[in-house]
Amino acid sequence: MRIRNHFVIFIQLLSHTLLVSLGTAQVGQQGDGYIVQVKPFFQTHCIRCHGPEKSKSELTLHTLDGDLALGRGLERWENVLDALESGSMPPEDQPQPSEAERKIVTEWINQGLREFIDHASQEAAKSTVRRLTNFEYENTMRDLLGIELDLIEDLPQDPLKPYHFNNSAELMLLGPEQINRYLEVARRAMASVIVDPAKPETYKTRQEWGAEESNKGFAKSLPRNEIAIQNSRRGTPGQGMGIKDFPKTGEFRIRFQASAVFPNGATELPLRFVMGYNLNVNSSTQEVVPVGVVHLRNSPREPQVYELRGRIENYPVQMGRMHRGKLRPDTLTITPQNIYDDGSLNDDNRFLYWPRQPDMPRAVVDWIEFEAPLTEVWPPTHHNRILFDSPLRESEPRKYIHEVLTRFMSRAYRRPVTVGEVDRFLEVYDLLKPELATLEATIRETLAMVLVTPQFLLHTKAEGGVVEQDYELASSLSYFLWGSMPDAELFGVAAKGGLDEPEEIEKQVLRMLADPRANDFVSNFTNQWLSLPKMKTVPINRDLFPRFLYYVEAGERAGTERPYIPTIRDHMIDETVGFVAELIRRNASVTNLVDSDFAMLNQPLAAHYGVKGVEGQRLRRVAVKPEHHLGGLLTQGSILIGNGTGSAPHPIYRAVWLREAILGDKVKPPPAEVPALTDSAGDSAEQALTIKDLLAKHRTQESCNDCHVRLDPWGIPFERYNAIGKYQPRVPKEGTRVRGFDLKRDEDLAGYARYLESINTQEVQSEARVPHGPQVDDMAQLKTHLLTARKQDIAENVIRRLLTYGIGRELTYRDRYEIENIFTDWAENDFLIRDMIVLICQSQIFRTP
Amino acid sequence: MKQKSWHFDRRELLKGGGVALALPMLNGMGKAMGAVNRVSKGNRLPKRMLVSYFAYGAYMPDSPSGIASSHVKTSEKEHHPWSWWPCRDAGPLSFNQSSAPFAPLKDDVSYLRGLDHAGGWKLGGHSSGDVFATGADMMGAEKTNNTSIDQVAAQVHGDKTRYASLVLGTEGGTGSYGSCKTLSHRGPGRPIPSLHKPQEIFNRLFNPYAGKGVEQVRAGLKREASILDLVLEHSRSFKNRLGKEDQGKVNEYLDSIRALEQRVERTSKWTHQPLPKIDTKGLNLEVSHKEPEEYIRCMYDLIFLAFQTDSTRFATLMLESEQSSNSEMWNYATYVLGYQGATHDIAHKRPADYSGKWDQWRAKQHAYFLQRLHDTPEGDGNMLDRTLVLWGSAHPHASHSTKNYPLQLAGGRHLGLKHGQLHEFVGAKKVPLSNLFVSMLNAVDVAVDKFADSTGAMTEVLG
Repeated sequence: MRIRNHFVIFIQLLSHTLLVSLGTAQVGQQGDGYIVQVKPFFQTHCIRCHGPEKSKSELTLHTLDGDLALGRGLERWENVLDALESGSMPPEDQPQPSEAERKIVTEWINQGLREFIDHASQEAAKSTVRRLTNFEYENTMRDLLGIELDLIEDLPQDPLKPYHFNNSAELMLLGPEQINRYLEVARRAMASVIVDPAKPETYKTRQEWGAEESNKGFAKSLPRNEIAIQNSRRGTPGQGMGIKDFPKTGEFRIRFQASAVFPNGATELPLRFVMGYNLNVNSSTQEVVPVGVVHLRNSPREPQVYELRGRIENYPVQMGRMHRGKLRPDTLTITPQNIYDDGSLNDDNRFLYWPRQPDMPRAVVDWIEFEAPLTEVWPPTHHNRILFDSPLRESEPRKYIHEVLTRFMSRAYRRPVTVGEVDRFLEVYDLLKPELATLEATIRETLAMVLVTPQFLLHTKAEGGVVEQDYELASSLSYFLWGSMPDAELFGVAAKGGLDEPEEIEKQVLRMLADPRANDFVSNFTNQWLSLPKMKTVPINRDLFPRFLYYVEAGERAGTERPYIPTIRDHMIDETVGFVAELIRRNASVTNLVDSDFAMLNQPLAAHYGVKGVEGQRLRRVAVKPEHHLGGLLTQGSILIGNGTGSAPHPIYRAVWLREAILGDKVKPPPAEVPALTDSAGDSAEQALTIKDLLAKHRTQESCNDCHVRLDPWGIPFERYNAIGKYQPRVPKEGTRVRGFDLKRDEDLAGYARYLESINTQEVQSEARVPHGPQVDDMAQLKTHLLTARKQDIAENVIRRLLTYGIGRELTYRDRYEIENIFTDWAENDFLIRDMIVLICQSQIFRTP
Repeated sequence: MKQKSWHFDRRELLKGGGVALALPMLNGMGKAMGAVNRVSKGNRLPKRMLVSYFAYGAYMPDSPSGIASSHVKTSEKEHHPWSWWPCRDAGPLSFNQSSAPFAPLKDDVSYLRGLDHAGGWKLGGHSSGDVFATGADMMGAEKTNNTSIDQVAAQVHGDKTRYASLVLGTEGGTGSYGSCKTLSHRGPGRPIPSLHKPQEIFNRLFNPYAGKGVEQVRAGLKREASILDLVLEHSRSFKNRLGKEDQGKVNEYLDSIRALEQRVERTSKWTHQPLPKIDTKGLNLEVSHKEPEEYIRCMYDLIFLAFQTDSTRFATLMLESEQSSNSEMWNYATYVLGYQGATHDIAHKRPADYSGKWDQWRAKQHAYFLQRLHDTPEGDGNMLDRTLVLWGSAHPHASHSTKNYPLQLAGGRHLGLKHGQLHEFVGAKKVPLSNLFVSMLNAVDVAVDKFADSTGAMTEVLG
């Protein structure tokens, strides 16, 4: 009965409030504003499509009630607000409300949302505790342990979703298998970090090659010590130097004497070293890992000695096989590769090899030396950093271990540890010591256990003392901008206090962005934000683009893409990441994302895009001219290829990309039962170009048309950029059968150009009327439209992307007005990108996510 | 295999400090071991289950949607010899070319048409394999997937064998949401990494102590249990310093550590049981993806051995995935049939000359496994009689469709199953695939009346 009484009182209170508010003349937040102004607006403009009968986009509005303060349906309200503010709803072909009507409704929603958020922000938000992503884990281990190890191969992958970041708290769960893997990985790492006291013997081996003419293989006339492009003749350094009986862990050094021959007048040859399996077997199951690249500029008259270093653990060892009843030893093969590439890509790769292209540069390698483990400093620095020198070690061993643990754990936990925490691991140490016997073995296992604690594996927002808050901010900053733990300076500022001051944050952010570790952030962020990786798996149509990729000429893998060398696709990813990095470095305006007066290019990229005067493989800033049809992200190969079919441009993919990544819209995936466009297009030269017809099909079906009418026009202006990301204004006539590329008839590059001219006879249509916008004729006009009419949306999108990445959770309606604040401050700074990163780090959301 | 002597190697011990802790225990979690089940006569014989998945759907030229299209009068059309479905109509089985490898097993297989997981409908053609063994609603309430059928069974009966379950795949690892590389999931957000290296699988199954003495292993495990206890305490005090919402997240962690503790306890108990002796003759553990037939048969052989030695009773096997690009799996059809193109393309282009042969090749490998079980006597029947084997894909012919899976159920005649029919679940007869899962679980003595979106059991397959 008591319960019922309460209930009655509650109802009375409620109606009382309602009565009171209805009685006031003010347009309030309660029911009356809704009934008088919003509901009629909905009835007139919305309910027909988003109501009881139809629920387009799975959105219904008739069930919304007029009281936002109760916190019901707020996501829907925010959707409505976005649609009205951006003008994307009601649809263009429907009667439009007046500006005044629109404004009344948006203000009403805004006011209600604000009130609710102010009220609700007293309560705690969703948990943002999440584990380190694999990317963060590997970087953290590197900075914590002081050596670079490849560790994440055996860990479960991070969740991956196009245009989303893989650090979203909601999806990052932990299970026992995962903890077990963390433990295995931690043990492997500790085995490398802590060495045994006895200095190991150094393994050393050397191989030499003379300048006499080689008499094996088809390139007989070349000296034995020379490496032509993509060439690995027997008995030459290009075939690799095999080593066996090498140590299994430790740092190694490869020294070699090298120079280059430049018949074509080039000045630089990149010589890359990879190590792992022997690459001479024609197979793709082999594994190699790059050791490094040196750029040779010296001639054989002035040979130079170069040096590369790495950790043996990171390289795939080729297991020995049984041979005539005997087990052969495990091997590693060091292979130098001449990866010179001037972008004059070659059909079927036929003309690449010496002597077909006698003027291509060649590398000369006189000898290679391999040495490991390096023991100049023993024990190595990474060991000493943990098991540091101290008299305590002998006099008071227990106190020494306590100190070792305190130092290590404070860094692993990214904050000062308590005595209790250390004592616990002292117990672990004591448990292990009798069995493992040595200090080194015991500390390895003890620290491996530290590395599976939640304090290490999780990002946390701990409760309590002010002291820790500064440490948390230090971690937030370092994981945002470095993808790793704080460095000594950040720890120092956190210990002193005052990291929370806006000036100090700015100072630290600028310092951190200038650090090489920020490259990790830019690369990781850009790849996920723009959904770049998919461009690597789009199969390029060889018949249409015979010159785009290097192919294996013969053998069982003939006709497949040549593995183990950097390809134009790798350069394209570098181009996009390098472009974003350049914008941050120069504190350039966000408008550069849409259009810029420069591009980041190297020689292969420049050749691909038709830009002259770029030599060498290093990425650099190049001024673009109108005839290049470049500038901004929209015309970069990585984007265009990733959002094409490999045969043809794909206006829908490109439209989705533009709306998701640049404009910040959420584009719904098509219903599962609809066949994909790519299934029926792009198999051959004739079919490759009929996607526009297929688009027209969409418009004839209402279920498709509802979404595609707002989507397809965004992709049409991209049409003059073909499936390999090149500007191609003309294509073969629709429906005609084009003759295939003929190697004999169109032998050289000029022949290839003539061939293209002969088949490309028709101008590509790229006109479209942008939804809620003007007619645009081509990419240039699309860019102009984006920069004039959509600049603010683009800026807000960039804030949202960076913020989501930075705090590791999806943004909600609660964050709306905080973001508005950042936006307003930023607009004063002309949307300069580096300033915005500073503003984000200073914002309330970032500091208390 | 030669029996190793249990001598105590001090140096080995020092080098491998704590290796015992890493004892690769597959997925032997579940409860700590209860009574050890000795293989014996009669009704105490084990009841087993395998779920095997093949990627990219299958060739069904007559009915791309996976069910016979209603406007073609079925009586007018001959059944396509290369359709994945063995025969056209529901009823007694006859076998066409594609399904010919199963003809000798006529009385041990059933085909099920028209079934699927509603939870996978919206996932899209490249992702619905994620929920093949779970039926989770990943676009809705279960974004991080949910417990798979084998793990439901392992939670109940996993304690009866050395390993609660065996999770295999051709690519290994977990993949990520939307591109899973394992069929098995312990629960939401807890995919179980699949193992894909035959040698490693063999070692984990049959040589788990890596040559160490059993006393030494036991001592290591005891120490390990104490350490995990300390870590657990350590983590609890940490948890108490967190806000309420965040504590839930740390509980996830604590549960994981507890599960590891149980695993240690379990492993320790099993050290009292001798390891099975395995005849490795004819087992090529060095095989690579370049020899697809050898490789897949080796994986099936390992499952067979695990079942035969009663090392585990529940297994999953994910053969390729819809996301195998950049791996040798991409070339399987090339190696096997000389198909010029990525294996994935067969699903999209459905070339008439290769699609059927590709399906038949896959059928051969699966039939090989069924036959091997069938040829191995056990009790008053054979091993297949006590093993439920579900084989299928999460797409029909239309490769982006996520409805009407190709499904074959085999074995279990002594567990109450009846075979030799093609059952159709179309129109008014449509039921969730999960109904079959309920019946499968019941058949292996897991008393559930619900799995995912099930609406009941599936009596059609029961005798």
